[in-house]
Order: sequence, then C-alpha cells, then structure tokens
Amino acid sequence: MTSQLLPLELIDKCVGSKIWVVMKGEKGMLHLLQSHQVGTLTQTLWIEFSGTLMGFDDYVNMVLEDVTEFDYSGNHTKLSKILLNGNNICMLIPGGEGPVAAAS
Amino acid sequence: MENGIATQGEGRDPSGFLSEIIGSSVTVKLNSGVVYKGELQSVDGYMNIALEKTEEHVNGVKKRSYGDAFVRGNNVMYISAD
Repeated sequence: MTSQLLPLELIDKCVGSKIWVVMKGEKGMLHLLQSHQVGTLTQTLWIEFSGTLMGFDDYVNMVLEDVTEFDYSGNHTKLSKILLNGNNICMLIPGGEGPVAAAS
Repeated sequence: MENGIATQGEGRDPSGFLSEIIGSSVTVKLNSGVVYKGELQSVDGYMNIALEKTEEHVNGVKKRSYGDAFVRGNNVMYISAD
C-alpha cells in the first residue's frame, strides 16, 4: 500500500508554484457594500486569490507572490506580495490560475 | 513544520515576510472589505498591526486618516507589501 499524502503535505508540495485560494463566504460583506439591496442578503459572496505560494505556517497563513485578488464585484486587483490570514481560508487548489481560467 | 524553519529569514514564510516588511508601506485589508494603507510599525503572531500615517479606504474611497492606528489581528484578511 502506498503511503497516503496528508492534506498539509499536499500544500507543502505546492510551495513555489501557483495556487488558487478560495476564502469563506462573507454574508455581512454584502450588507456593507450594498446596504440599499437588503433583499439580496441571502446571497453568499466570497473573495478568491491566485498567486505563487512562497510559504505557509501551522495555521495555513500563507505568503503569496504575484497575486490577483478576485473581488465579489468582479474586480481584479494585482498585489505583488501578501501575507494572507489563514483564518478565513476555505479551499486551496494547487496549480489553480483563479476563477477566470477555470471558467474558460 | 519543517518548511517554515528551512526557509525562514528570506521572506518566504509568514514570519520571515513580516520581518522583511516592517517599516515599509503596506496595505491591510480587513474581512469587512475596509482597507488601511500606512507604514507598518509592528506586527505580532496574532496579526495585530500597528500602522503609522494611516489612510482608511472604504469601497476604494479614502474616508479618514490617522496618525497611529492599531488593528486587531482577528479582523485582518491580508497584509500586502506595496
């Protein structure tokens, strides 16, 4: 039997390559941005990042380089180097180029 | 974790990156979407942040400025080096 790959070992293998990070949905954020549209509050919105994983720690706080932030409103923001808090991370996709590449 | 120790000090892992950007100009985004831009004075393991010459941006619009500001770490989504 081959030894299984633990979840964090998978992420460790991603250091130095592209990764796509999906954050937990924030319902409250919609309220902040579009408080005039209270009727759409049930919609869950989230933020996504794609970039090169430089490193991470035990909390899965991550250092990312050449990052694109994909906004709930469809905006793309370029960031050179960030420390992303692991607290609100939902999913990591190794090799992912972000939602735009995945949709095409 | 081995990874963290092996690459420390080169700005690759979280603690190395933080020590690298102390004193430089940064952008801090909170989970609420509010953005703070300023000079990073200090940061700790909770991601509590002390900023100088801080500007508060809401929906991309500058709202306020503060000389010194403390941001409690639980609200921080990311810290970006400008």
